[in-house]
Amino acid sequence: MSEQKIADYEFKPGFTGMAKDTGSDQTMFKGVHWGKAMMWIFLLSDTFVFSCFLISYMKGRASTTVEWPYPSEVFALTVFGVSVPLLLIAIMTFVLITSSGTMALAVKYGYEKNRKMCGWLVLATAIGGLTFVGMQAFEWSKLIHEGVRPWENPFGAAQFGSYFFMITGFHGTHVSIGVIFLFIYAYKVFAGHYDTQKRGWFTTMKGDYVEIEILGLYWHFVDLVWVFIFAFFYLW
Amino acid sequence: MEEIKKKEEQTTTHKIGIYLWIWGLLFVLSFFSYMVDWYEFQGLLRWSLILFFMFLKAGLIMAFFMHLFWERYALVNVLLWPMTAIACFIGLMAAEGKYTVFTRFFYFFVGGQ
Amino acid sequence: MSDEIDNKQSIQAQSSETMNQYSGSAAADIDYVRPAEIPEQDLYHGHSFITKWVFCQDAKVIGVQYFLTAVFTGVVGLILSWLMRLQLGFPGLAGFMTAEHYYQFVTMHGMIMVVYFLTALFLGGFGNYLIPLMVGARDMVFPYVNMISFWMFFIAVAVLMASFFVPGGPTGSGWTLYPPQAILEGTPGSGMGILLMLVSLSLFVIGFTMGGLNYLITILQARTRGMTLMRMPLTVWGIFTATVLAMLAFPALLVSSIMMTLDKVLGTSFFMPTILKAGEVLEYGGGSPILFQHLFWFFGHPEVYIVALPAFGIVSDLISVHARKNIFGYRMMVWAIVGIGALSFFVWAHHMYVSGMNPWFGFFFATTTLIIAVPTAMKVYNWIITLWRGNIRINTVMLWCLGFIVTFVNGGITGIFLGNVSVDVPLSDTYFVVAHFHMVMGIAPLMVIMGAVYHWFPLVAGRMLHEGLGKWHFWITFLGAYSIYFPMHYLGFIGVPRRYFEMYDSPYMTSAIGMNEFISLAAFIVGAAQFILIFNIIKTLKTGKPAGKNPWKANSLEWHTSTVPPEHGNFGDRLPVVHRWPYDFSVPGAKEDFIPQTTPPSEVVHTEVEKT
Repeated sequence: MSEQKIADYEFKPGFTGMAKDTGSDQTMFKGVHWGKAMMWIFLLSDTFVFSCFLISYMKGRASTTVEWPYPSEVFALTVFGVSVPLLLIAIMTFVLITSSGTMALAVKYGYEKNRKMCGWLVLATAIGGLTFVGMQAFEWSKLIHEGVRPWENPFGAAQFGSYFFMITGFHGTHVSIGVIFLFIYAYKVFAGHYDTQKRGWFTTMKGDYVEIEILGLYWHFVDLVWVFIFAFFYLW
Repeated sequence: MEEIKKKEEQTTTHKIGIYLWIWGLLFVLSFFSYMVDWYEFQGLLRWSLILFFMFLKAGLIMAFFMHLFWERYALVNVLLWPMTAIACFIGLMAAEGKYTVFTRFFYFFVGGQ
Repeated sequence: MSDEIDNKQSIQAQSSETMNQYSGSAAADIDYVRPAEIPEQDLYHGHSFITKWVFCQDAKVIGVQYFLTAVFTGVVGLILSWLMRLQLGFPGLAGFMTAEHYYQFVTMHGMIMVVYFLTALFLGGFGNYLIPLMVGARDMVFPYVNMISFWMFFIAVAVLMASFFVPGGPTGSGWTLYPPQAILEGTPGSGMGILLMLVSLSLFVIGFTMGGLNYLITILQARTRGMTLMRMPLTVWGIFTATVLAMLAFPALLVSSIMMTLDKVLGTSFFMPTILKAGEVLEYGGGSPILFQHLFWFFGHPEVYIVALPAFGIVSDLISVHARKNIFGYRMMVWAIVGIGALSFFVWAHHMYVSGMNPWFGFFFATTTLIIAVPTAMKVYNWIITLWRGNIRINTVMLWCLGFIVTFVNGGITGIFLGNVSVDVPLSDTYFVVAHFHMVMGIAPLMVIMGAVYHWFPLVAGRMLHEGLGKWHFWITFLGAYSIYFPMHYLGFIGVPRRYFEMYDSPYMTSAIGMNEFISLAAFIVGAAQFILIFNIIKTLKTGKPAGKNPWKANSLEWHTSTVPPEHGNFGDRLPVVHRWPYDFSVPGAKEDFIPQTTPPSEVVHTEVEKT
């Protein structure tokens, strides 16, 4: 993080600092853990994946001659006889942002090596993620029940269902993978693997709290993608 | 923001307050973007509001939850510059979508052999 | 589990060496390199055969694994090209060859050569082997992920090869896999064939992402002391930029593969318009075939540079070493590589001038395409100026390099033709295009690969490849390749279309018949000549002349390892400390005609070295 010291290396701020960091030897991202740099670059690549999905969706939606379904009505939920537009989606957004907040705090406590707090917060994040996946499953089954299929739907252009299931499915896969890792990491935090630098099961690399930050980056990215899907798919 | 940054640089981790602030802001912004749909704004107003709230939320998540605000410029620039390729792709595909739908209607009415 | 290499901070040892020699503080000052930022890497040493040679975490072994797998697929691709040429040159000679088979061979040849051979060979093979050695790292930063990367690639190749044996055979839709025909009945392999192809591509992308992350982070975050980005050999720059392109371009391939798989399996219509087939409307409708083309070429064009940039980088190093002269305009070369890489994301639709896209795009893409010629031409000039007045050794490696320059210029010039919309339209889908891309991204990178094999084989195996055989290999390949592709330009001009099973009785194409026979004969010979290399390698492994340390007298770090071939951990007890760029050849005033990167300034005080 920003207050780090490197022997015989003077940190400069801003673009001067960027030029100096880039021109220096050994590392370009000063003080950034290898795993964290790797996760960032992976997320950049993943951004391109989701961008390509959303661009395809834009192109597909723009070039269809059949009326595109009005998402506000399609995703409405009837509560006590009143149809509330996008209610489920709003709750899902709420859940995901909540879990993002707990993850951010988990990272903070991870850096302070506060094992208990960090562990509980990671667990809370995992449960939030699980809730999100559950609600998405509910949403899918509701739409399938209403006759929406990847190849057709009763509301309008066939591509609506195709893009909906593909994009939310791909995002849901990311969330599910994240949830699995969150549970594993919650266990590892509680078991004290990061305090004792216990080696990983497969990779044989030493445990460190930086792994929580790396997982946090992934989890925030999943949240970030949801912000875009929410805007482009549900609101647009 | 500058003041916050100066304070943060002195401690090992960031104060819990900043996270709670951003967290709260994200809820409020999500609520606002939901309201865009609730009040059924249409046309340009709807799209610009959606985009405005979207970018604000995305920016907050990236800057503070993903710590990009505190990262050094070397990393920030490496991550943000490739987005120009995406921007170009988006712009061209928007034009392409319009053209495809134009040709579809054109040949539908004029007939094309 | 894993042994830790002794964490010896090399700073004290290094500075004490210089102190002993010069015993003055001034000498110590100019040799000063700041201490290591990052702790010694924690490596896993395999002990059993399986962890040492199969599921190996050593980047060098992974590199060789990648290399061998890629060469295997390359040989398959070569045999497919023979079969195609057999049909084109002598229609009907091979009795089993139907039009369906021909399309399948075209498709598989293209896909294998571009993705599974060249990309895997340059980035997986050379990248894995050379990056850690050249930047002075013990290994890739995440050896475990690196190992998984290779096995994902291996599975991808297995799935691809499996598609030869499924009912209906492999896909025959052309290597671009354009929908709607790729997944409709009537196209060969539209059942399992295309599905396995898409699955294989997705696996390749996933596997490559793991490897690519490793290459990037190793180059950015794990360089040795004193190794700045501007002191890296151009090989590393080429592989680095190509990997960046791969990380950003492969997502588009992944997305288009996933979407087409869904079109095939679930019956969605992402890319499928309303289709009338034999008077019946198919269930598809409303999709956009041109979207696939955009996605595919958003991947496909950077892919061209993923193949070309490592070749540019490697050839720069080979030329510099074998002409005993520093590379001309090193910084210009670096910026040209980076600039070509960045521009390659803005030119993709020049492959689609006749696709029926928005006609205004022609202006945009023709402009960006021609702009890319500027940095590319700069590189060619720099190679030539590097050779100028150099102490050129005409050995096998240098011959391949010279062959590359000529071939690349040739392919580049036809590229200028094809980059302009009005010239491209009549030339589209003719043999002119085939000649162009085989010259520029087939033969040219292949020449670099051959040069690189002759150059680095002594490092990998510790023995020198046989020069005489190498020269035969080069001359047959070089002259043969020109016999194949020069006439193809002419075939293109007279309008012979590509991807046609045979020319039938078109009367105006009589001149094409003799030429096709000639091309085919040349292709058989050139293909067979490649086995000279394989024979040479086998012979050398048994009876070759031992190479010793640094046989080419090169400067870069891979030749200055503790043992040749380097063992796991690369550099023995201490990591090297870098003081200069890798191109200090024939420096006036120096004792020898090369100054290795590890030589401190105090040892070369009276010479005119470049300040890097």
